[in-house]
Amino acid sequence: MTAALTAVAALLARDLRAFARSRSQLYSSVLFPLMLLALLGTGVSEGLDPKNIADYRTFLAPGMVVMTAVFSSTFSSATYYQDRDSGMLKVLFASPHSQRTILFAKTLSAVVIGAAQALIVLAIAAAIPAIDFQWQYGVLPGVALAVLSIALLNLILAGAGQWLAQRIGSMQGFHLVMNLVLFPFLFFSGAFYPLSNLPEWLKLLGRVNPLSYGVDALHLALSSDTSSGYFGLAIDLPVLIALAALVFLLGNARPVVTER
Amino acid sequence: MNSTTNPAPTATDLYPSAPPAIEVRDAIYTHGERRALDGLSLSVAAGAIVGLLGPNGSGKSTLLSLLIGRRTVGAGDIRVLGQPVTPALRRRVGIIFQEPSLDPGMTVTETMWLQARLFALPRAAARERIPALLATVGLADRADSRTATLSGGMKRRLEVARALLPDPQVLLLDEPTLALDPDSRAALWQHLLDANAAGRTLLLATNDVYEAERYCHTVALLDAGRVVAEGAPAELKRRLRREAVRVEWRDAAAAPMDEVAAWEGVGQLRQAGRTTHITVDAASPFLTRLFREYGDHVHAVRIEQSTLEDVYFQLVGHGIRPDAVDDEEMRP
Repeated sequence: MTAALTAVAALLARDLRAFARSRSQLYSSVLFPLMLLALLGTGVSEGLDPKNIADYRTFLAPGMVVMTAVFSSTFSSATYYQDRDSGMLKVLFASPHSQRTILFAKTLSAVVIGAAQALIVLAIAAAIPAIDFQWQYGVLPGVALAVLSIALLNLILAGAGQWLAQRIGSMQGFHLVMNLVLFPFLFFSGAFYPLSNLPEWLKLLGRVNPLSYGVDALHLALSSDTSSGYFGLAIDLPVLIALAALVFLLGNARPVVTER
Repeated sequence: MNSTTNPAPTATDLYPSAPPAIEVRDAIYTHGERRALDGLSLSVAAGAIVGLLGPNGSGKSTLLSLLIGRRTVGAGDIRVLGQPVTPALRRRVGIIFQEPSLDPGMTVTETMWLQARLFALPRAAARERIPALLATVGLADRADSRTATLSGGMKRRLEVARALLPDPQVLLLDEPTLALDPDSRAALWQHLLDANAAGRTLLLATNDVYEAERYCHTVALLDAGRVVAEGAPAELKRRLRREAVRVEWRDAAAAPMDEVAAWEGVGQLRQAGRTTHITVDAASPFLTRLFREYGDHVHAVRIEQSTLEDVYFQLVGHGIRPDAVDDEEMRP
């Protein structure tokens, strides 16, 4: 057990070091959502005058945090292909640990890196004067709720990414599938506009969308009152926890190794 | 340091009482529709250097992946160091893969430390062994270099150092010198021979006849997932009871290959450019007839020792590599 934990820690440290060295990935993954927040937030606030949202920039911020989590988890899951193509995956599988332990470490890396980037975006957004987080549960509990929501969301995304990466032969195919699945999920998650005013069939898409529950929990953590939520924390957190457990286990339970 | 000459005695001669380090019995492994291993049996003595010699697709790499537990045998029994293959057993078994297997973004030292932590090496031991091993393989001055900046030979030496770091008793090598230049090959083999001299068992998958003859105590010839012959290289060649002749033609296009191949007593012909390696029952009558009938076409001849390639051809009916003559000429 200790040896397995040492191995997981070593692999996590390796992926974190690789991420820290990849400055373009770090900067772009944080700058893109902030740029969208500035441009889309300002454009919609000033140009379109959206009804029912008093402060669109503040509304958009949780959505951008979730978007960061989506993209960074996807990108981190894709390191599976880098390890496979460099031959490192074979080396890791030739170590005295089960494939499950190795893949668990890979997923954990994706979760930590994805969550770290999402939290960086959240911290920067909180520091922008034009964005007014109300922290209805207080700052510290609100931050804790945000961290929990982001971590659970990243578990879901990294688990799904790991599961897909083991089954899709090429990195290009992986990104295509992830984009095909995740972009619609992102649009119908309440990240860009509230779910409450959508037609019923779009509301249904929102309800079956795991991202909706993460966005909702974040909205609740950062807003002034519970009326800004769509599902409510009593639904958001159990759904996120159940999905995280299910997808994370699915991604690591029966490893399918497609080595070159 | 060891000499790099062919070790004459077999491993069984050297370690007569040692139990086998690797024991494979009637192993069957199916890859899709194809049987990659078809009842393969093999015994590797502890402390030996054993070569698996065969063409691509003969089952060499599949056997190594079964020995390291990357695949599970369909039928039969595989034991390494007397135990069935489990993840825990990999603590005592190292492997060097056919293709480079380094993270290009990591430094040499980071690569070694990752291995140390994967194999739960105590930190104090790792701090001592990593610089010592890097010095042994001549990479001490590249300790902080990214692996992407190393030459092919350096990468291979780093992989050897990495494989040796947990002090394995068995080292599996899948064509370790593929694509290396002659100097790098010689340097790498010196490290491998040193590892063997320290008591480690080496099992080498190769289609390189020269390496198998020069460095292996015993060789198992593989074809279609089975061992077709096994023994010391010299013994296998003695069993062939044939001679080999190298003929250099004046003009490759005009070489009477088909005619010579049809002669009685002529075995395998392998051509590379103007040179043809021919196995014959007896060199003397063959050369007499060659000069009588095609003397004008011949530029030079040389009687050679037959090789394991010749043995393989006689047993299986096809060669290991079509370009064997050329490759042999590239040797140091």
